Amino acid sequence: MASGREPGTPPPSRWAATRRLGLGNPRARGGARRWRQRKRSPSTVSCAGSSWPGLAVTLGSSRLHRRPGGLCESEPQPAPRLVAAGDAGVSEEDAEGREERKPRARGRPAAMSLAAEAFVSQIAATEPWPENATLYQQLKGEQILLSDNAASLAVQAFLQMCNLPIKVVCRANAEYMSPSGKVPFIHVGNQVVSELGPIVQFVKAKGHSLSDGLDEVQKAEMKAYMELVNNMLLTAELYLQWCDEATVGEITHARYGSPYPWPLNHILAYQKQWEVRRKMKAIGWGNKTLDQVLEDVDQCCQALSQRLGTQPYFFNKQPTELDALVFGHLYTILTTQLTNDELSEKVKNYSNLLAFCRRIEQHYFEDRGKVSSSVKSS
Amino acid sequence: MAAPLELSCWGGGWGLPSVHSESLVVMAYAKFSGAPLKVKVIDNTWRGSRGDVPILTTEDNIISQPAKILNFLRKQKYNADYELSAKQGADTLAYIALIEEKLLPAVLHTFWVESDNYFSVTRPWFASRIPFPLSLILPGRMSKGALNRILLTRGEPPLYHLREVEAQIYRDAKECLNLLSNRLGTSQFFFGDTPSTLDAYVFGFLAPLYKVRFPKGQLQGHLQRLSNLCRFCDDILHSYFRLSLGDG
Repeated sequence: MASGREPGTPPPSRWAATRRLGLGNPRARGGARRWRQRKRSPSTVSCAGSSWPGLAVTLGSSRLHRRPGGLCESEPQPAPRLVAAGDAGVSEEDAEGREERKPRARGRPAAMSLAAEAFVSQIAATEPWPENATLYQQLKGEQILLSDNAASLAVQAFLQMCNLPIKVVCRANAEYMSPSGKVPFIHVGNQVVSELGPIVQFVKAKGHSLSDGLDEVQKAEMKAYMELVNNMLLTAELYLQWCDEATVGEITHARYGSPYPWPLNHILAYQKQWEVRRKMKAIGWGNKTLDQVLEDVDQCCQALSQRLGTQPYFFNKQPTELDALVFGHLYTILTTQLTNDELSEKVKNYSNLLAFCRRIEQHYFEDRGKVSSSVKSS
Repeated sequence: MAAPLELSCWGGGWGLPSVHSESLVVMAYAKFSGAPLKVKVIDNTWRGSRGDVPILTTEDNIISQPAKILNFLRKQKYNADYELSAKQGADTLAYIALIEEKLLPAVLHTFWVESDNYFSVTRPWFASRIPFPLSLILPGRMSKGALNRILLTRGEPPLYHLREVEAQIYRDAKECLNLLSNRLGTSQFFFGDTPSTLDAYVFGFLAPLYKVRFPKGQLQGHLQRLSNLCRFCDDILHSYFRLSLGDG
């Protein structure tokens, strides 16, 4: 017979052809297909009514999620780069706050191009602020540190000033859930935005802004003062937390690693300390003593106090994001117990700053039935 | 009279008294406040140190960073901020922080990280002023230090690739230049008619960017379009550094 097959032999398997074509094990292919389908399932983040079911778009920061095997790289990517928010979604559903997956800080995400950012902010502009917006930070009682608490409080104050409802949720792995690795981050609709700067822009895209009434020179001043606070106050807080031996040993290590079992708590704490120390050395703070750092804090508070003068807010009648940022940092410094009180003493020297904090706390937090967070060392 | 104050710093070129931003800040402040500084330019002999420049040497002590040097000069009664109000003093600190956060990474990148600029302009210039064999090592180390600083402060997620970081830092720097230009407006100096610390800092960071000829200077192009900042740099150069212009 022309077919060349001996009678009695089984017909050639239909998989043999595929194997000859080099397509590998079709069972594995089928498995891969099933796996891809699972990844695209809408069970991750609930995006009711969104046009991108199952995926979350991050504004200002997006990443290509790396699963083992690097399957993402072979998939065609629609523009803008969308995030399979499997991690964020799954972690959010967990009510116990346990960490769902290993820390992913070593992943190599890709960033959005400028065109993609414009596209995403257009998406942001079309939807109004939902009722269920949430802000994620670390555990308030046992884990959160001074600088993170200050940042989180600043964002909460800013959103209160804009009259936008926000619910604060504490998760042990908030730092890893965040798209940029920094807390706090907000989850609004189907978007995740972290850090005060991008959040202010995001809120502006939705149509709420506190600094619209300022002219160009005042906007420049506001940006300059926000950089001053970030440059001096935030860096001083980081220095105190991670480079001052007494504080590190007594407070920071214990708090930072508290949700994790031994030895992970020590490893993560040392790793973070190494990262922060490297950064301090790069910007020239590595050789500073604690006294010099406290002097810098004093200088910064003096500048803020002189700028504030006798006005209720930094730009007279209306609060802006600068007020939120300053409030977040100063209030946290004043209400956090550290090994010594020198940092809060420096702030207490300026009575108008104290009055400023009290005013914002009363107006935006107590009046609305919320108690502002204060961190006590355990 | 105060003991002779000696400042050792990098030399000048392209019409500037110094090409190094921090040295230029200190020199400008000294001129504004009238401090009698003896400027010792680092050359390629083995005398003098090359780390942590600029360095101010007095009889009793050695001071190294610009902020500390300026503080010391102020304590010696050479104060250029005498006429500023409290609010203007606070504004000075804020604008200096803004420059350091937004403009400095891009300036460092233009000088030290962008390979065309680094290999054709910066490295030969610095290597000619450092004795062999240090001239093979030090410029490379300075370049790595600059890249390190940029990546550690700005290269945080989601911007892991240097290209993305570059785009972001140049965007920030252009915005910062626009803000400075808006703030300066049409006046001669930032706070009235006499120069102050903020003028020294702005001059120190902008003048090298303005004068040094780079093959790839997109930030330079942007700066040259802001005519009031260019006029500001030229004014200071002509009024305070006229004698040393010939040294270029």
